[in-house]
Amino acid sequence: MKKTSFLAATAVSVLALSSAVFAADCTIKLGGIAPLSAPGTVVGGEAMRDAMLIAESDINAAGGILGCDLKVVIADSEGLPEKAKAIMEKLITQDGVVAVGGGYHSSVGVAAKDVADARQIPVVFAETWNDTITGDKQKYIFRIAPLSSWASATIWRHALTIEGVNKVAILTENTDYGIPAAKETTAGLESGGKEVVTFSVDIGTQDYAGIIQRIKAEDPDMIITLATGEAGYNFTQQSADAGIGPLDLVFHTGQVSLESKAYWENVPDGNLAFVQRIGLPENGFSPKGKEFATVYKAKTGKGAVESYAMEAYDSIAIIAQAINEAGSTDGDAIVAALEGIEHEGTLGKIFFPYGTGKDPSADGKPDSWWHQWPDVALTVIQYQNEGEDSGSATIVYPDVYKTGEPIINN
Amino acid sequence: MEFSGFFWAAVFWMAGWGVIGSIALKRRYLHRDLDTSNTSMVGAFTGAAAGPFALIPLWIKTPRLTTRYIVLPVIATVVVFGLFFAKGDPGNICVTNGTFVASQFVNGLVIGIIYGFMALGLTLIFSILGIVSFAHGEFYMIGGMITYFITSVWLPGINPMIGVLGACVATFTLGAIFERMFLTPMYEGKIDRPVEYGILVTFGLAFTLQYFVQATAGANPVKAQRFLSFPRMGLPSSEDPWLMKTSRGSMELFESVTISSPRLTAALTCIFVLLALLYLLHRTWTGKALRAVSLDREAAAIAGINPDRMNMLAFALGGMIAALAGSLLVQAFSWLPQVGAIPAMRSFVIVVLGGLGSLPGAFFGGIIVGLVEAAGTGCVPDPQKAASYIPAYGMIVLTLTLLLRPTGLLGRKYASATHGQN
Repeated sequence: MKKTSFLAATAVSVLALSSAVFAADCTIKLGGIAPLSAPGTVVGGEAMRDAMLIAESDINAAGGILGCDLKVVIADSEGLPEKAKAIMEKLITQDGVVAVGGGYHSSVGVAAKDVADARQIPVVFAETWNDTITGDKQKYIFRIAPLSSWASATIWRHALTIEGVNKVAILTENTDYGIPAAKETTAGLESGGKEVVTFSVDIGTQDYAGIIQRIKAEDPDMIITLATGEAGYNFTQQSADAGIGPLDLVFHTGQVSLESKAYWENVPDGNLAFVQRIGLPENGFSPKGKEFATVYKAKTGKGAVESYAMEAYDSIAIIAQAINEAGSTDGDAIVAALEGIEHEGTLGKIFFPYGTGKDPSADGKPDSWWHQWPDVALTVIQYQNEGEDSGSATIVYPDVYKTGEPIINN
Repeated sequence: MEFSGFFWAAVFWMAGWGVIGSIALKRRYLHRDLDTSNTSMVGAFTGAAAGPFALIPLWIKTPRLTTRYIVLPVIATVVVFGLFFAKGDPGNICVTNGTFVASQFVNGLVIGIIYGFMALGLTLIFSILGIVSFAHGEFYMIGGMITYFITSVWLPGINPMIGVLGACVATFTLGAIFERMFLTPMYEGKIDRPVEYGILVTFGLAFTLQYFVQATAGANPVKAQRFLSFPRMGLPSSEDPWLMKTSRGSMELFESVTISSPRLTAALTCIFVLLALLYLLHRTWTGKALRAVSLDREAAAIAGINPDRMNMLAFALGGMIAALAGSLLVQAFSWLPQVGAIPAMRSFVIVVLGGLGSLPGAFFGGIIVGLVEAAGTGCVPDPQKAASYIPAYGMIVLTLTLLLRPTGLLGRKYASATHGQN
């Protein structure tokens, strides 16, 4: 009898355990695109990957999605459009993701969006700026990064506020980010009466000596770098070596320079450089932003949080919320939920005012506002002390966020 | 800026007479049963430089085409093209600004020396082992990484030359071990297709090294501190430093030419090591043995040289040369596990341009590619295209060279050993 009772108890225990295992086995997968190999911006990619994995942990700790565990499948885009298409196909067809977040390079976004849209998988791009990504008005494509035209406007408007700048040299990468960004920046600067000369390079270029001599011969008052990845480091330091670096004239360097530790190691003569930053300064972070910053700094050992890390975190978190609100992992249901969402993200309250319910043209907005978060904070910071963190660097533009005056060394 | 019709007419004139010259001279020499090995090149450049005015006398006299007949037409073609360029685009910065031209020339020369040095390693391996090492770029990357770790992470503040030496020792050892473990089956006849095997096994090494470094050191760009910081000074005086002015990271000569400290130290070290290498190859028994094996393995073996040992030495030395180039440039460029891809590709171009297996050819090929890249970056009128085409400039020179001289500039017909087999 005792033996029978023991067997029965064991059988019940096994059944109970099995059902628990089956419950935990329910997993919903989201894709997370990031450049983790050259020629992509590895610094940015690693930051985004870390952020997306923190999002996965946070969401699972809060109960997951629809009662299931969230699994973020990280895919390396290498910053290449052809690779972007391939990994988007793989994420959807082989990994079985129901939606995709992340994305750093515009060229990756431009290439990957068509694949996702054709397969009816929603994507929330985190850091791809090219206007056409949302401008093509595709049903499944969303973005929380700023439009390239907004980001360019911040740079050229800031340049117009600096006295003594009459001629600007732009170094741009010939990609889906660089080319339109250079055109927009040029048009903006020329509208303010500035003379502009633009030089473009291939992504992955290391040696800028020749082009720097050419820029030097143009005798510009300001240099603007519209290049992603370590190109920003190489160009800035090589310019400094040639006597036209941030210590010699007004120098706007690449956004990768927000990763302060790598910046100071790679650009030891980079003090006084200006850098564009997406999002508010750390003291202006939302409660969720502050919470994320604490976890992120502890995980990565960094002194500051890069804006693309926050965007990556939000791109995953907002999809998770949309699935929960939709009560389904169906692509159309997620899109409907995203169009009506109000997400309290690390960057602030994220929402998409235009989409299938209301076309941007209804408010006189261009097509690029489709599925686009309109409330991105854009600032320009300046490193004013060697070795300082980007998070504590002086915000010099726009006035509403300003924490100090720029040092103009021309 | 658009080039004038005159410029394009001149280019077509040069190209047209170049084609005619290369074909006509070769036929003429063939018809007279003379050596035709240089006829295409001499005919093309003579035609391009002087058209029928020099081609006809050459066609009639058919002299023996010595080096003089090659070098002079090449120089003349460059000069004539330069004159047409100046006439076609008189406002171009390369025409109006001598200071800029001098800067570009020095930049091209300095980087060309480094290119050539790196390519030396590749051609050394090819000439002895008969394989193209596809891991050459990874040796370059490893050299930089080791130097970075020694000078910035493990022993910060140490003399950078210790870091460079450490990288050389490590990569030499790595090359020797790899050659012993993976390339020896080629010599023992265990491999049916040694050429393909050599390519695949070095490809495997390349991927292994790249992903090993990415897994252990991370994929963030790193950079070593510059090896030499110049003291701030001016010559002849700090008030009027027309001769030379230095700042922390660079030196300005004649108020026109700027050379950064990392490039200067890298180029000077490359020249120094090149001289040491030439001494090794031409003045020591080991060097002579290496050259003997590259010429004829069997004859070398009969003379008492162990070709297998020379194979190991050549592969280790070739890898170490690439690593040395990397360890010198890690102070100039941001360094990633994938940093070797472009320099390796450029080395392949240079080696073929200079002539497979030719050490002087590789070095001169490097300088030519450096100068052509500098000229293209500086003189192409559209600034949006000038630097975008950098990889194409070397390829144009390579294509022209292969068309006119398939063995490369200084290559010989049979440059490699027989796949390392006895």
